[in-house]
Amino acid sequence: MKGLVQKWGAIVLGLALWELAVVSRAVDPGFLPAVHTIAAALWDLVTAGEVWTNLFATTYRALIGLAAGTAVGVLVGMLMATSRAANGFFGPLVAMTYSLPKASLVPLFMLWFGIGDLTNILSVLLATLLPVVVSTYHGVKAVPQVLLWSAQAMGSSRARILTRVLLPASMLHILTGTRIALGFSWVLTISAEMIAAKTGIGKLIFFYGESGAYAYMFAGIIAIVAVAYAADRAMVWVIRDALHWEDSADAADAAGAG
Amino acid sequence: MQGVSHIRIERLSKHYESREGRVTALAEIDLSVREGEFVVIVGPSGCGKSTLLYILGGFLRHDAGTVEVAGRPVTAPGLDRGVVFQEYALFPWLTVAGNIAYGLTSIGMAKDLRAGVVERLVKMIGLGGFENRYPRELSGGMKQRVAIARTLACDPQILLLDEPLGALDAQTREVMQDELLRIWEATGKTVVMVTHDVTEAVYLAQRVLVMSSRPGRMVESFDVQVDRGQGREAVMLSDEFNGIRNKVWLAVRQQAIAAQ
Repeated sequence: MKGLVQKWGAIVLGLALWELAVVSRAVDPGFLPAVHTIAAALWDLVTAGEVWTNLFATTYRALIGLAAGTAVGVLVGMLMATSRAANGFFGPLVAMTYSLPKASLVPLFMLWFGIGDLTNILSVLLATLLPVVVSTYHGVKAVPQVLLWSAQAMGSSRARILTRVLLPASMLHILTGTRIALGFSWVLTISAEMIAAKTGIGKLIFFYGESGAYAYMFAGIIAIVAVAYAADRAMVWVIRDALHWEDSADAADAAGAG
Repeated sequence: MQGVSHIRIERLSKHYESREGRVTALAEIDLSVREGEFVVIVGPSGCGKSTLLYILGGFLRHDAGTVEVAGRPVTAPGLDRGVVFQEYALFPWLTVAGNIAYGLTSIGMAKDLRAGVVERLVKMIGLGGFENRYPRELSGGMKQRVAIARTLACDPQILLLDEPLGALDAQTREVMQDELLRIWEATGKTVVMVTHDVTEAVYLAQRVLVMSSRPGRMVESFDVQVDRGQGREAVMLSDEFNGIRNKVWLAVRQQAIAAQ
């Protein structure tokens, strides 16, 4: 009970203050709908099924993009960390695109790939790629020399060292990067959907916002927050499970607090 | 075909570049180790004894001289040379059994054969019942036993031990020294070990080599002839043992002082 209060107290208090401010007319409900109006709107969206199809579209794009970004990111990161030539080739590219706001490329992708899944997924791929590349690179670079030497002395081929030593040894870094990338994947999906999709929670939020149905807009935001939160918790669970062999302190660090 | 020396190093030199320019780490090293011999190299820290071992392992390149194992020049790591490091270097994501089986898997041994080897080695190091534990669940001594077993699994002819007991407490260290002796006597492998512990060196070695510091050279060699069959206490309290130990200690001390 005490833990529950600690965990949810701030949220409940915030919602109560919000509701009070609007119901007492301290804030114009035209700018900020009351909590109970938003709840009703959310219920409406849930029962009408509108929220589910859009959530599905958004989650699909975010997770496919993340999976593709992670796969390419791990590959590029490992190549960069193990080959001087690959590092010379990809290094400047990574440095240049790292600070580029990926959402700025959405209009370009829209021009090339039109409106729909592909543009959305590619935006997510690009945004999730870089944190994974960087974390993989640092993970591989941090692998102790003696682990590599041991593997070599025990007859490992280069391919085997990559997959059986470097990959598991840098898993903590890789998964930490993937968790950050998971956060980015929602940002990019939602912003890409606002301009380059016919479906998705981003589109729904944008549409209701444009048409002045703010309670419904908020309902859409709440729906995606819930899904993103659940996805992050699932990711934490995956990290803990994958790193069960790590010193518990390190694994807990990677999984973050909570 | 097989000569008398299993390991032959002649006029080996190794340099590296530092901010202050070229530093000679090893100079004109000569070393010859017979098959089945247990040789321990001691010297002040920074004398390059580990570097020498890494060159023998094929991990580092030397700049001049000859390094041969069984008559063939050393160019890369190989299964004929098993290496045990001070930091254990176990794969933390593999269990005890997984670590011991690692080398067997990379050389493509069939699964049922592998299980037999793992079982035998786990029994040999006295870790029966710990097969499915991860390294983080083991004590330092247990980890080092696994590291030794993992290296023995590949059945190398030569064991290269880089301060293998350096991270252990004094009691565990003595237990592991006897363990090493037992394994050496049972397997008859050629052992080259590096340590900074003079007593350990004399207790284990048939021959103790003392190195100087910067550049590392071989300065003295001591043959250790004690009857190890009489047990640790008798050996360590004997006059022969302490006589040699004192001589080696003095030699290392002189090198350490000279290096300052």
